[in-house]
Amino acid sequence: MPVIPPVVTAGILTRSLRSRALLWGALMILLVAALSLLVALTFHYRSARTQAAVEASAATAADQFAQVLDRNLQMILALPGRDASAETWQRHAQELLLAHPEVLRLERRELDNRIVDAVDTRSRPPLFSEMNRADAQLDTELACSTAHRRHGPTYSRSYFVPHSDTLGLEVMDLCIEELLGDRVVGFVTASYSLAGLLDRLSTEGVAPGYELSLVEGDGSRLARGRMHVGAGVYRAGRIVDVPDAAMQLWLDSASTRPSLVPDLVTAVVVGLSLTLLAVVALLARDVRKRTHVEGALAEALAFRKAMEDSVVTGLRARDLQGRITYVNPAFCEMVGFDPAELIDQLPPPYWPPEHHAEYERRQQIRLASMPAPPSREGFETVFMRKNGERFPVMILESPLVDGAGTQTGWMSAVLDLRAQRRAEELSRQQQERMQATARLATVGEMASLLSHELNQPLAAIAAYATGSLNMMDRHAPGGPIEADVWPELQTATQRIADQADRAGRVIKSVHDFVRRREHSREVVGVDVLVESVLPLIRLQARKSGTRIEVVVETPAPRVVCDRAMVEQVLLNLTRNGIQAMQLQPPADALLTLCARQTQPQWICFSVTDHGSGIADETARQMFTPFFTTRSDGMGLGLSVCRTIVEQHGGALDFTNLRDGSGKVVGAEFRFTLPAAPSRTAPANSGDAPAEPAARLVSA
Amino acid sequence: MDPTNPNPDLGLPIVYLVDDEDVVRDAVAWLLRSRRLLSEGYASAEAFEAMVLDRQADAGERWPNGPSCLLLDLRMGGMSGLALFKRLSERRLTEAMPVIFLTGHGDVPTAVEAVKRGAFDFVEKPFSNNALVDRIEEALRVSAQALHDQRLRTARQRRLDELTDREHEVMRQVARGLPNKLIANSLDISVRTVELHRSRVFDKLAVKSAAELAHLLHDMGTDPRPLARESPPVE
Repeated sequence: MPVIPPVVTAGILTRSLRSRALLWGALMILLVAALSLLVALTFHYRSARTQAAVEASAATAADQFAQVLDRNLQMILALPGRDASAETWQRHAQELLLAHPEVLRLERRELDNRIVDAVDTRSRPPLFSEMNRADAQLDTELACSTAHRRHGPTYSRSYFVPHSDTLGLEVMDLCIEELLGDRVVGFVTASYSLAGLLDRLSTEGVAPGYELSLVEGDGSRLARGRMHVGAGVYRAGRIVDVPDAAMQLWLDSASTRPSLVPDLVTAVVVGLSLTLLAVVALLARDVRKRTHVEGALAEALAFRKAMEDSVVTGLRARDLQGRITYVNPAFCEMVGFDPAELIDQLPPPYWPPEHHAEYERRQQIRLASMPAPPSREGFETVFMRKNGERFPVMILESPLVDGAGTQTGWMSAVLDLRAQRRAEELSRQQQERMQATARLATVGEMASLLSHELNQPLAAIAAYATGSLNMMDRHAPGGPIEADVWPELQTATQRIADQADRAGRVIKSVHDFVRRREHSREVVGVDVLVESVLPLIRLQARKSGTRIEVVVETPAPRVVCDRAMVEQVLLNLTRNGIQAMQLQPPADALLTLCARQTQPQWICFSVTDHGSGIADETARQMFTPFFTTRSDGMGLGLSVCRTIVEQHGGALDFTNLRDGSGKVVGAEFRFTLPAAPSRTAPANSGDAPAEPAARLVSA
Repeated sequence: MDPTNPNPDLGLPIVYLVDDEDVVRDAVAWLLRSRRLLSEGYASAEAFEAMVLDRQADAGERWPNGPSCLLLDLRMGGMSGLALFKRLSERRLTEAMPVIFLTGHGDVPTAVEAVKRGAFDFVEKPFSNNALVDRIEEALRVSAQALHDQRLRTARQRRLDELTDREHEVMRQVARGLPNKLIANSLDISVRTVELHRSRVFDKLAVKSAAELAHLLHDMGTDPRPLARESPPVE
């Protein structure tokens, strides 16, 4: 489970905030747009509906208008004709006018437009009270002549009649031929008040709620119904089917332009609901996400906890004052304190009292170099267990950084080094044992050589002794021994003593070498080192006739080393060199042992032979234990040599020597040992290599 | 009579001692002197070989002219004892001069190998000394015997060489036991001539009968040489 660093989390947070704001903005804009569209559509729809209704009503009203006129026509046609008496006609006319207030006046005319009879409606003052009928019957006469010509009812154009009680009336006349039998005897005219006609329509329930008006072709209004008042918004006109009267019936709905407010309210309610829905959805999503994140966090925490509990490495967090803010179980187990005993304690209880000052100082240094990069190199120190036991630990520290990037403390991994120390100790002991074994093995490999070396003096001793006995036997037992034999017997006896001594020395040198000495570093002169091992080297060299050349500077440099071990290295290397030259003619068999100071801190030893060099195959393996090219070797020599030299901090390597033509003419093994600090100031800082002043040559 | 010198006419026996250890040479010389034996010491195989070559140049094939034996250290710087032994046996010197190896502790298998190749014996150092001298005396006796046989053979060979070709042919046939008559026929000479040759051959080789002649030829290790002589066979 990856743990997200705080900085990254913050980044994600701001980014999500911005995107969320953007989301909300977009949502709002979309919502407003949708609602506006909705309102606009609703508005438009309602307008269209109302307009359509007005149109439909207009059509109906126009029909009704025509029907009313038709019905009235029938009534007028039903009036008594010429053959009836004038009173009868007047009575009937009077009834008709009473029933139809829109008809203002009925007239009977002769063919020459002379008015025979005229009846005015009683519901209003007589039509022609303000002006003379004769002044206003041009249109009537025109209509009558058209009716006469057409033999059908004809309407006149409307004309204005001033009136006393009102501002005046727009009047339209209907002219019908009056027949007597088949003969036209005159005309009947009816004067319609246009306004009255419209009122009549309204009272009949035609187009309720509409203001009705009649408009002339040119748009000027002729008459207006009085029953309703239109709002002037929704209007519709229809041409009225009245022959000769070009008029339009207009309907004007009383309903005004639809109000926006109710639509807006609806829209807002809808919008809020939608917003609420969206918010709920977002919240639900957020909650789900949060639950998920919380689950992940819990999992990460559990993971971290398990990790902290399972590691054997002690973990410890400290703040900048050095107070412990956190420890894991491994750390507690390591130091033996409970977490409660550790948290917030200053100084920590696991600091050994004797080191307080030093640790305090270290803390100060650490604080001083605060913006320190986390280092992979730990440092070793000593902690104390609760029971007072001290133990070494390795601490690796890295800075603790909070979400804002500032350091708040240190996180340390603490490793208990006790087991490692034990392993190191064990390994050291094994190394020592191995080296002792190798030393014994060296001697074992030298066994035949040693036995030879011992056999020589022993053989000589035996021979001298037997010879002497023989000499003595030849003379009479107890008798005098001839004078000339005495010196010889003396010489022989002296030789016996010498040879016994020699055998003793051989045994001692081996014993010195094998003896398990204290492993201690001491300062020892290179010359002393070489001298002590030289008898054994010579022992080996003598048989093969190898000459040994020792080159040591004077004064001999001094090294810090474990003497016994370095002697072993020298012996091994020289022995290898001598064996490498076994096949060489004795004249070429020269082994050079050289020791010189190459650098201020290092002394370089080299063992150079003139054998056939080291084959590549051998070179690859020769430093591995139990690799050997000899039948009687154990193969421990070079590997142990390298171990020993490396334990001293030096290095062991070799090169094949080549002559001018590149032919291998020998091998040089070199190793370095640390130089002892010089007792005096370093003599002539080495601009010229010191001449080898001591040159010991052994044949 | 000195047991080491059964044939006084062969000269004094001598023990050659090759060892690179001065003190060992000195000690062994002392021991030998205590048993009245002469010895000569050489510090290396090379030195001894040089001496041998030198003396052979002086004395020809006849060297060694006295009974001798060689005490040879197996392991030495320079040429090893074994190498020297090989060279000596190539020169057929080891018959008249038996070689006793002195060995160190680890060289016994090498020494055994050397004995198989004709060395007289080997003695491990540190050796039991009078026993060593006893073996040396044994070797000297063997040497004296070998030298004696060698000289006898040389003398006979010389006499054989004195025969003429015709006598040689007759001798061969006689040694095969053919009667004179058959010999005369095969050689296309008269019986009388055969008899003459035969008596000369008997004279020259100092034999009395054909059987003795055959025995002698057998001892010499060579069958009567064919007429067409090839290069003289190596003895």
